Amino acid sequence: MTPNVDERLASIVRALSEVILPHLPPEASLAQEQVHLCIGHLQILRAQFDAVPAFEREELDDAVAVARDLAGTVTGGEQTTAALAAMNAAVAAADGGDVRGQRAAVLEAVDALVKAVSADGSSNAKVALPGIILSHEAPRTLKDRQWFAPFGFDTL
Amino acid sequence: MTTATLNDMEAVNRRILDRRAANRSLPPYRAALIPEVTDLLASYFDKVCPGAVVDGVRRVGGGASKEQFFFTLTDAEGARQQYLLRMDPRSAITETDREREFILLQAMAGVVPVPEAAWVDPAGSHFPQPAAIMKVVSGVTKPSGSGVKVSGLGTWLGEDLRAKLRDQFLDHLVTIHAYDFRANPLPGFEVPDADDLQAARWVINYWHELWRIDHGETRPIVALAQQWLADNLPPCPPENLVLTHGDYRTGNYLFDEASGQITALLDWELARIGDFHEDLGWVLMQIFGTNEDGTFRASDLFEREEFITEYERRSGRTVNRTTLHFYDVLSSYKCYVICAANGLAAARSQHNHQDVLLTFLGCATAIFAGDLVRLLSQGAPA
Repeated sequence: MTPNVDERLASIVRALSEVILPHLPPEASLAQEQVHLCIGHLQILRAQFDAVPAFEREELDDAVAVARDLAGTVTGGEQTTAALAAMNAAVAAADGGDVRGQRAAVLEAVDALVKAVSADGSSNAKVALPGIILSHEAPRTLKDRQWFAPFGFDTL
Repeated sequence: MTTATLNDMEAVNRRILDRRAANRSLPPYRAALIPEVTDLLASYFDKVCPGAVVDGVRRVGGGASKEQFFFTLTDAEGARQQYLLRMDPRSAITETDREREFILLQAMAGVVPVPEAAWVDPAGSHFPQPAAIMKVVSGVTKPSGSGVKVSGLGTWLGEDLRAKLRDQFLDHLVTIHAYDFRANPLPGFEVPDADDLQAARWVINYWHELWRIDHGETRPIVALAQQWLADNLPPCPPENLVLTHGDYRTGNYLFDEASGQITALLDWELARIGDFHEDLGWVLMQIFGTNEDGTFRASDLFEREEFITEYERRSGRTVNRTTLHFYDVLSSYKCYVICAANGLAAARSQHNHQDVLLTFLGCATAIFAGDLVRLLSQGAPA
């Protein structure tokens, strides 16, 4: 790819920083703030661009992993059984062909299962479900925090 | 909970939700231009203050939700006064009601330092969106030279200002909570006293519904938190119902940098009658505080236990740790909804004047997911 994505983003950052920003009048505070944010966004995108496919693939794998653990433990009544079936179908379809869409489908199904277990899950399921979710989400949220740490909100 | 209890919330919040849902199909919004705002203000004051002249309109930087402009108004007698126009974009990171904020500012005048509310256009009948105008108060939200922090998060005050501000910060909160809303009712502010769970139920219903309307992208910890909140509503006996500020933290008050005097408490738009623990949980959020050498300070003013015990001592109230834990979880959940659903929905629909800020703030959601994992893992203190 010529020019490559990094070269294109770099040229946009330079134009914003060295051509546009200095020419904004002092009273254009909103425009100045937004140019600074654009530059920050683009610099982080430049740094992360090559890693995005692997990160999103891992997000999908982690979603499938929590769903599989829940499926292996959770039982219950009619609502829980239906939610489990829908979740298992979403997991079965998660072949990586549409990473974002498949992850969203699996997580929606997990969300529905959480609600279903609250309604008619077995007592064992109600006890086990929070622990399963927390054990998966602890490392997952840490990965997310590290990914977004360059934005400067986090004190990791 | 039944459908009936899921719909249980203040009427104003139902109106806000309906408005947000209805606005979804409207065309994109763009930032107002200074000449446009000048014309709007001039024609407004032709009606409400004939003979007055508007000049010096300029945009106020910072903030993540409203379009704000300073301007000077010269009345027919020649008296000049600086004002602030706060105008809603079509959709914002927090959806609130200008009239409610206006009523509250009027009620708080003389109770705690607040900007003087002057005019309000609650339905956007003159301005393109709901708007309010208040007198300008001098002061800063952060020390000069403290660097750029998006939306005042994690402001570092330093030792000197900390010493000057902390007592005022806590005493003002205690004073707000002591406001006698039964003797001096606030128009439009309903009291959640149908049963002991209503205070908590109203707030989670509102935030769950916001999440639903804005199509927040779910994840397992959010699903778990939503269910946990619904299953663990803490009772709020009538004596624990107070006027809450709703967004009480460093960054939401003005102070005089030289004296350290708080000159105005700002951003009252999330205020309601609720459980006093709700404000405490918000003040104690990690994102609004600082970490220095392993020491966390809420709003860079108090360590956690110090804040709780000082609040108890000054207010005469007893902090229930189980209830506070619920509101700790709720605060992280609210922040998640604000950043991951409300802000991103406003940006996606191009209904805001600073989409790029909203997507930038959206990158903080992982912190709140992490907070939810930590809080739900540790459970309520014994």
